[in-house]
Amino acid sequence: MQGLAEVKTAKGKFIERKYLAILTEPLQFSGTLVYTAPGHLEKYTVSPKPESLVLDQDKVTIESKATNQRRVLALQEYPPMWAFVESFRSTLAGDLATLKRFYRVRLEGNETQWQLELKPTEPNMQAIVTEIRIGGSRNQISSIEVTESQGNRSVMTITGDVQ
Amino acid sequence: MTASARWPIAAWFCFILVCVVVVSRTQISTDLSAFLPRSPTASQQILVEQLRNGVVSRLILIGIEGDAPPSLAQTSKRLAAQLRAQKTFSSVNNGEDISAQADREFMWRNRYLLSPAVAPGHFSVTSLRAALEEDLQMLGSPAAILLQKVLPNDPTGELLRLIDQFVGQAKPRVEDGVWFSPDGKRAVLVAQTQAAGYDIDAQEEALARIRHAFMQASGTATAQKLLVSGPGVFSVHSRASIKDDAWRFSLIATSLVATLLLTLYRSPRVLALGLLPVASGALAGVAAVNIVFGSVHGITLGFGATLIGEGVDYAIYLFTQIAPNVTPRNTLARIWPTLRLGVLTSICGFSAMLLASFPGLAQLGLFSIVGLIVAVAVTRYVLPALLPIDFTVRAANTLAPAVNAAAQRAAVLRYPLIGLVVLAAAFIVMRESALQNDSLASLSPISMRDQALDADLRRAIGAPDVRHLVVVTAKDEQAALEASEKIGALLQRLSERKLLAGFESPAAAIPSVAMQRTRQTALPDEAVLREDLAQAQRGLPFRGGLFEPFIRDVAAAKMQSPLERNSLQGTGLALKVDSLLVERATGWAAMLPLRGVTDAPAIARELAELPHGEVVLLDLKRESDELYQTYRREIINYSLLGAFAIVVLLFMSLRAWRRVLGVLTPLLGAVIITWAIFTAAGSALSIFHLVGLLLVVAVGSNYALFFDRRTASVQERERTIISLLFANLSTVIGFGLLAFSQAPVLHGIGATVAIGAILSLIFSAILISGSHPEQVAV
Repeated sequence: MQGLAEVKTAKGKFIERKYLAILTEPLQFSGTLVYTAPGHLEKYTVSPKPESLVLDQDKVTIESKATNQRRVLALQEYPPMWAFVESFRSTLAGDLATLKRFYRVRLEGNETQWQLELKPTEPNMQAIVTEIRIGGSRNQISSIEVTESQGNRSVMTITGDVQ
Repeated sequence: MTASARWPIAAWFCFILVCVVVVSRTQISTDLSAFLPRSPTASQQILVEQLRNGVVSRLILIGIEGDAPPSLAQTSKRLAAQLRAQKTFSSVNNGEDISAQADREFMWRNRYLLSPAVAPGHFSVTSLRAALEEDLQMLGSPAAILLQKVLPNDPTGELLRLIDQFVGQAKPRVEDGVWFSPDGKRAVLVAQTQAAGYDIDAQEEALARIRHAFMQASGTATAQKLLVSGPGVFSVHSRASIKDDAWRFSLIATSLVATLLLTLYRSPRVLALGLLPVASGALAGVAAVNIVFGSVHGITLGFGATLIGEGVDYAIYLFTQIAPNVTPRNTLARIWPTLRLGVLTSICGFSAMLLASFPGLAQLGLFSIVGLIVAVAVTRYVLPALLPIDFTVRAANTLAPAVNAAAQRAAVLRYPLIGLVVLAAAFIVMRESALQNDSLASLSPISMRDQALDADLRRAIGAPDVRHLVVVTAKDEQAALEASEKIGALLQRLSERKLLAGFESPAAAIPSVAMQRTRQTALPDEAVLREDLAQAQRGLPFRGGLFEPFIRDVAAAKMQSPLERNSLQGTGLALKVDSLLVERATGWAAMLPLRGVTDAPAIARELAELPHGEVVLLDLKRESDELYQTYRREIINYSLLGAFAIVVLLFMSLRAWRRVLGVLTPLLGAVIITWAIFTAAGSALSIFHLVGLLLVVAVGSNYALFFDRRTASVQERERTIISLLFANLSTVIGFGLLAFSQAPVLHGIGATVAIGAILSLIFSAILISGSHPEQVAV
């Protein structure tokens, strides 16, 4: 955790696969991620459609180049989303305290290959997300797997080049 | 007592009786709007109506501070729960999701009637396809969690569109689930009372309930403090302070002046006689105001304190100037012309107030004029008959020589004084801008501190500073809504051209029935929709049959009966519609507040082209500033007229320009130096200060005229000066007390006249005494 807390900036490529119950095939997204400690995260989706998502403290700004739309969401108004966002933001920041606020935390593995298992504590969140697994090596995150209720699942693999 | 003396006393007695009867039937009003200028234009009338009994007037802003945020949040939740349970409040908002939930429910259930996107072509194959592709994109973002639940019912995203429409305004900061001020130190709530704003008793009860509920909600956390603000709060506080002021000042003035006169007269009987003119004048003044205006405002009674200060003057002049061995009647005959002239100049001064378009100011003017006339009449006709024949004021005899000597020596200061006045005039001219930066807020009887608290709480809630407002009037509610929709469409186009950032419309929450039916017609039939959807879905990874709920919902919406205003009950939107769509005496009015206006004239031009007649773009700030400028101009004109009348009067009586100038110079000096003092102190001169300056001339003319008269002997001169000194003191006490009032009208006039009166006396002594060797007694 401490190692993660020391990371000030990080950049990486991601591939995200989402398996949703309402869809017949998985969705695939790819792009780049940029992280700046302690709470700033940017996700630039390149395919299939260009889109940017910026997480800054308690606001999420989603901007879609295709439809030229910009939406700002305040996390405080959507607790489930907030909890979800916190899961990897707090992990990136090495902020165990905040993680524990929303999840029951279990750590497996060793320094070269570790896995965080997060189970939400609040009933609202539990109804949506069953478990989040974050895997990494040393002070880099390499995978995020979210298991949602109703049979939905999403897996993100990150290949980083840390500065 | 001779027979001829008896009938004035009898007449006076009857007159007093009549006055008492009228006064006992008097209603005292504390309506603050009496001290706001009357609004001339029709659209401003709407606003003033709204301010008095509209929804805006029913809002009470509540703040809780003095503790850590989590405890404040707890108290806020408990307080809100308690208030919601009471019938006194129609809604209580503290940021808890409760009302937001009701809003979202309403928007969700009626999304196809509310959404502006529902139009022919919105459900075409191409349009559906685009919507579905966007949905897929959104499923990749964190918002997917929220989207998944509503997707089967709302693939075209109407709910999101509606939420976007109502967002875009500043939202209060949320901490621990409730609203907080931006700095996080205060929890804020908004409560709306059932009773109208002008029902001050009901507002007072509502406030009491809030305080009581707060006591219970905060429990053991005694450090927590409750703050309240809002139109109802102001009315209640003002009523209390106006009542307090009126009683307090009159009482203090009476006791101070009575003490002063007792030291002068050394006889309680004479004191009582001396107060007779004042008492009669006050009674007559109140009766006159009641007859002419139908009621008496509390502030007018507060002004009564000044009447006490000035009304005793005439008795003072009479009593003090009675030399030993001279009958009161002879003394009166000697000084009567000067007294009369003094009263006439005072009347000229107060007339400026009488003619003003402020109802409240007119009351003050009438009260003072009638009061002074009656006071001087009683002094002239009744008092001499009641005084003992050998009456004389002994104190005058002992103090007089010293005071007179001082007055004589004062002439030395003549040239320094003139120099000082010239400097002061130059100073005022340099700082003239101080007078220009004034606004309608200076007329408000609400204290600066209360206004600041109100602004803070309003900012915390995120209530926008409504400056630009489009107002449309129509013959009924539906017509008003339809007009709003047309205007809304225009404003939407203009906002795309960046002429404004956004706007609110009552039709967004409750569209007109015509619009709802149009949207229903645009909804496709079930079979058509099913086929088009199947086509649009081809190739996309959505599970078959996923959108059945959507098809069902559209079919239901197509046959839904139109929404009415009471469909909004229980939602926060209801409050918004209530404030934007109002019934008036002659039809209905809809208001569309604008945000972020960059080009108001252009918007006004576009609006003028609309076929609907009664559309107006209001710039509230400019309107109120212009209103203020109009009234200031008016007061300045009347004041100048009054000053001119005084000069003419003086000339008719004194018959020599040199003497008129001699009388006017100290008064002019007093006005200039008083003005300079206020300018130097940094307080902007309001309309009421201007009125006060005119009164300085009117009141000060008494002193100047007495100094100007030739006196038969040194003792006579000494007695004259003593009478002036004591008269001045009582006037200063009367007006000076008003300077402590919270009401700007009393504060402005009181401070100005108190300072001006002292200066008039001193300057008269410096500039006039001994400078006219050849005079004919007036």
